[in-house]
Amino acid sequence: MNDIIVKLLWTLLGLFIVLNWGLLMGATMRKIVARVAHRYGIPFYQPWLDLIKLYSNRSSISHGVMFYLGPVFRLGGGLGIFLFLPLIYGSEHFSNFSWAGDLILILYFQFFGMLGMALGASDGGHPNSVIGITRGLGQFTTVEVPLTLAVISIALQYNTLSISEIVAAQQGGFQNWTLVTNPLATAAAMLSLLGLFREAPFNLVKAPNEVPIGPPTEYHSAFLGILRTNGALLHVVEAALFMNLFFGGATHWVEFIVKTFLVYFWSVFVGVVSPRFRIEQSVTWFLKIPLAIGILAVILYI
Amino acid sequence: MVGPLYIIAIALGTAFSLGFFKKANRNIPYAIMFLAIAFMTFISGQWLYAFLANQQEAIQIFTAGFQPPFSISLQMGLHEAVFVSMINGIGLLSALYLYEQFRDKGVQMMMVFILLFMGLNVIIMTRDIFNLFVFLEISTIAIIGLILLEKKEQAMSSGFKYLIASGIISGILLIGIIAIYYYNGTLFINDIISSNPLLLKGGSVAVFLTLMAIVLELKPFPVNGWALDVYESAHPGVGAILSAATGTAMLFVLYKITPFIADPWFNMIATIGIITFIGSNLLGIQQENAQRLLGYSSVGQLGLIMLVIGLSPYLGDNYLFIGFTLLISHFLAKAGLFWIAGIIKQKKIKNWSVLRKTPLLMVLFGIFILTLLGFPPFPSFFGKWELVMELSNNHQLAWIIAILAGSFLEAVYLFRWFGYALKKEIKETTSKIQFSKILPPFLFGITSLVAGYYTNIFQGDAYTINYLPLALVLIITLIDFISAKIKNSLAILAMAYYGFLTLPGLYENDFIRFIFMAIFIGGGILTLIAGYAYQGKRKGFYPAALLMFAGLGGIIEAQTTLQFFFAWEIMTFGSYLLIIRGKHSIKHGFSYILFSLGGAYLLLMAFGLMNAQVGMQISALSDINTHLNLIFSLLAIGFMTKMASLGLHIWLPGAHAEAESDVSPMVSAILLKAGVFGLLITILAMGAEYAQHSTLLYILGWIGALTALVGNLAASFQEDAKRLLAYSSIGQLGYILFAYAMATHLGWVGGFVYVINHFAFKAVLFLTIGAVVLRVGTHKMYEMGGLIKRMPLAFIAVLIGIITLSGVPPLSGFAGKWFFYHALISKGWYFQGAVVLFAGIIAFLYCFRLIQSIFLGQLKDNHRKVKEISIWFIIPIYTLIIGIMIFSARPHWILQPISEYIAPYFGRELTWNGSTAIAEMGYWNGEWIMYIIGVMFVLILGWLLYTNAKAQKVKQFNIVYSGERPFTPETTHIAHNMYAGYSKALGFIVEPYITKLWNNMSDAIVQLGGLTKRIYNGNGQTYAFYIIAYIVITFFLVF
Repeated sequence: MNDIIVKLLWTLLGLFIVLNWGLLMGATMRKIVARVAHRYGIPFYQPWLDLIKLYSNRSSISHGVMFYLGPVFRLGGGLGIFLFLPLIYGSEHFSNFSWAGDLILILYFQFFGMLGMALGASDGGHPNSVIGITRGLGQFTTVEVPLTLAVISIALQYNTLSISEIVAAQQGGFQNWTLVTNPLATAAAMLSLLGLFREAPFNLVKAPNEVPIGPPTEYHSAFLGILRTNGALLHVVEAALFMNLFFGGATHWVEFIVKTFLVYFWSVFVGVVSPRFRIEQSVTWFLKIPLAIGILAVILYI
Repeated sequence: MVGPLYIIAIALGTAFSLGFFKKANRNIPYAIMFLAIAFMTFISGQWLYAFLANQQEAIQIFTAGFQPPFSISLQMGLHEAVFVSMINGIGLLSALYLYEQFRDKGVQMMMVFILLFMGLNVIIMTRDIFNLFVFLEISTIAIIGLILLEKKEQAMSSGFKYLIASGIISGILLIGIIAIYYYNGTLFINDIISSNPLLLKGGSVAVFLTLMAIVLELKPFPVNGWALDVYESAHPGVGAILSAATGTAMLFVLYKITPFIADPWFNMIATIGIITFIGSNLLGIQQENAQRLLGYSSVGQLGLIMLVIGLSPYLGDNYLFIGFTLLISHFLAKAGLFWIAGIIKQKKIKNWSVLRKTPLLMVLFGIFILTLLGFPPFPSFFGKWELVMELSNNHQLAWIIAILAGSFLEAVYLFRWFGYALKKEIKETTSKIQFSKILPPFLFGITSLVAGYYTNIFQGDAYTINYLPLALVLIITLIDFISAKIKNSLAILAMAYYGFLTLPGLYENDFIRFIFMAIFIGGGILTLIAGYAYQGKRKGFYPAALLMFAGLGGIIEAQTTLQFFFAWEIMTFGSYLLIIRGKHSIKHGFSYILFSLGGAYLLLMAFGLMNAQVGMQISALSDINTHLNLIFSLLAIGFMTKMASLGLHIWLPGAHAEAESDVSPMVSAILLKAGVFGLLITILAMGAEYAQHSTLLYILGWIGALTALVGNLAASFQEDAKRLLAYSSIGQLGYILFAYAMATHLGWVGGFVYVINHFAFKAVLFLTIGAVVLRVGTHKMYEMGGLIKRMPLAFIAVLIGIITLSGVPPLSGFAGKWFFYHALISKGWYFQGAVVLFAGIIAFLYCFRLIQSIFLGQLKDNHRKVKEISIWFIIPIYTLIIGIMIFSARPHWILQPISEYIAPYFGRELTWNGSTAIAEMGYWNGEWIMYIIGVMFVLILGWLLYTNAKAQKVKQFNIVYSGERPFTPETTHIAHNMYAGYSKALGFIVEPYITKLWNNMSDAIVQLGGLTKRIYNGNGQTYAFYIIAYIVITFFLVF
């Protein structure tokens, strides 16, 4: 019994670190984007202020049960990935509940939040939500294709689908990272990541200008607070997943922070210098060069 | 015992004496004639009984005490007794049936009638070839008399053509007989056989001419225009005689003279037979006139039996069994159908829907159609089975293909007709039906059923069929007039009893079969519960449903391929009846049955090939050692028609979507598993070593992957909720095909996860959507919306359903995905695997569309007062959901035994540690994932409730909308053409290329039929020319 409580406490500590790092990283990225656009940008503590404000908002409306549950699913999705993902290599305490399932569990658990969020937003009844979701789902289908091939490729390379073992196999220096040993799989996955993170050119889903703020149009107060919490969390854990698979994982928190920052930065970097695709363009884009790279990555290991 | 000569004497005496009653009340001569025929029937029946009871040896009768060649000799043996009994039996019933005609036309018709039957009796019994000719003439003239008595212009002209044609044929026969007598010096058939005329110079030409004349009497295609005109224009009662009685007698003649024809000529007879069988069935396809269609069918059936006679050298001991079962089926069915045609008096087959006014006639019609087609449990089923088996044993694959092709064409028009009768609007009403007219077809219908049963008994122990489920179906058919609620309870009880009988044993002995049986019976009971929601009698539903479930159970229980095929056909027909019940299903039911039959014929071929090597035990399938690829391919394609794999899938969307609300889950969640089960036993029989290097399985893997892709993508673009689910089934079955084609331990466990899941969630989804459709009255998703407010329980059910479908943890769908990933990597099917995974993600599109368009978004004005779905749907739906939950939390309860079952076949790739599944590359613990996610979800919800407990509930249009408040749900609900952008990008993949391909093929066949039809120009002279040309051409081909 004690073991479980200790385990939970360590997990909570991990969550605390990841969440705060996520908020900070988000603020930093927004600042970078602003500077590129010759704006001053938000102060770095803005996300915390937002959260406090949102959670303490007194006026709040609901459009129905599913609307209410949507954010719960969404945060559940982010938190679930966090729980099933080993964060720090070699750390018993920060491997969370990764013994319950392997990489496949994480890949499919991404959908948990997406689906719940999609349903919740639809229950709001706002047409823009549905438009955003249909675009998002459509784009997501092809985003996953190169990623799937990349995963197959590294599974063949390391002969495992256990994230801990994949990280273990990359230890011993830069030259053992998947980035070096399997550059094609890394390339395919990093291109997919652009679609996963939905920065430009793949941000029609959120369409920040035309559709006020995409699916969460109707969400506010604590609902939005939960969504923001999840956003911060999700960016870090998704980046951490890529870090584990392709960039040698992290043996301590500093390495974790640097690497997740760089992974996220990659999508922001591409975003600030790109225009936006129409949905049919982005859907087909992933089935061209990224798909070809993914296929090559698998062929090399057959 | 009364001697057979009395048959002739009575007939002749009656015919002459009838002349005295010309002026009397017509009932008197009718009674005399009827009694005479009854007595003739009695005599023949008495002989038949004696032969069957083994109390009698065959006897020869020589008239006037002379020996041949000076006497007319008759023979009465078992065969003759059977045939004269058949002839006199139909004569008796025809006399009854034609009562009105006799009253109308008077004594002349009675005389002609009784002479006709006298002629047919002698034709069968005679052993004198000239005597044969004489009585052939008598019956031909009598037939023409019957036709001409109709006194309609068309009948007159056709009767005259018949006269011309018969005259020429008789001439040829006479020349043949004269020549035989010239060379042999005898007319006594026994002597002709012993002296073998073929050895004599010129003797073969004599025999050839005789043979050709007899063959021409059987109306071979294409030299049969006059006969078709007669079938079309004569009174249906006469048509019945012409087809069943005359045809039967002539076949017996052909059988009688086979001993003295040369061996190579058997091939000629077979060729004539098959050309007739295929040709006239091809022509039947376009035919709209019921009686002419029956004419084509008659000609085709006679061709088939001619074919059997021609192939007799290959058929060994089973020759007579095959020939007779096919003949008796033709005899019973064709007479029955003609009689029905006479009762309802509808020329166009489209108008045969009036049959539905009289359920008994409808049932009889169904029985006769199935008898003709060789469906179980009718005699022709066993006949065709033996035919295929024997031909396989002799490596006559080409003949099998030709026969099955012809049978398929026959099925096309018979089922089109049957579909019209079942579904077309009823335009006219029938007048009151007389007892004398309905009795004959009724008796023949019963005889057909009984004959089927005894045919099977006759075959022996190895062929045993379990008739108990069919008996239950029969009972529920007989009580079809009572309230549906009672029938529903009885059906559930029957299913439960069947489950009680079978499931415990299967659980002990064969876990895989247990799983499928549990799905069939459990699923059957659950979907039947939904049937309580229906009011009224639901006529015809329960026989159909139970027939399907009886078939499904039979497939699992089958030990031999015959039992399997028997059950398979029963299941096919039952499901056809269920599918075609839908409002707009006439087309879909038709394409379903055609694909099913096509598949079934492939299975039949495979079973034949297998039988030639290792016999009929299903378990022996693994022992076959030649034609492996062919047999396995035939089986795989056959089963894939039921699984609706890509290319063979076009029947499914319509069939499933248009079916009734509780039928859709039956045919989708349950029925499709029959194909899966078949495929599974096929692959198990292949064994690991074959499977590993099998190109077939490799191709199946790709087909599975592409099916998944196309099915899921097409589902995403549907506007109709049930069509969406139907396409989703195609996609899901694609996964299953892919999983089993891998033939590895992991792949198969994954396949089972999919089978179980697909059963559960597709039943949940189809039941729920079906129940919603019953409430809102539309399938179109964009006409719904916001129903979560009105039907929360339905919403939750669909939510659980789509989470399971899409493979999102923690529900059991994820187990399928996990096994897939691991299996495809260990198998090395990376690219097809990637296609499957891609398809899996596309599934989100349609899942979202389904739930959003129906339940979320804007509630429509006309749905503001709809009620929650019926409790009778909620009960099975939530039972299934509980099942899904248990399977998700404790997957090892089912998967571990399956895993143990499979491991010996394909090698172990998976171990279980409690609830953790461990494969070489990774691990998964369904139980803990469930707990972790559950706890997490509750915590977050608690946090939200804590911070946001007082959220104010707002009304429908209270949304941020460019400063406006929308007020029409239609313009605010995003549902129609939902994935427009996605369709622009990838829509080209789901263009209906395959549908077009099939349509073009069927068009080509129809057009071929149209072209061929031109040979019938209706001109008697042309027909006469055909006869001569046919003989000349055949002569040059043979000699």
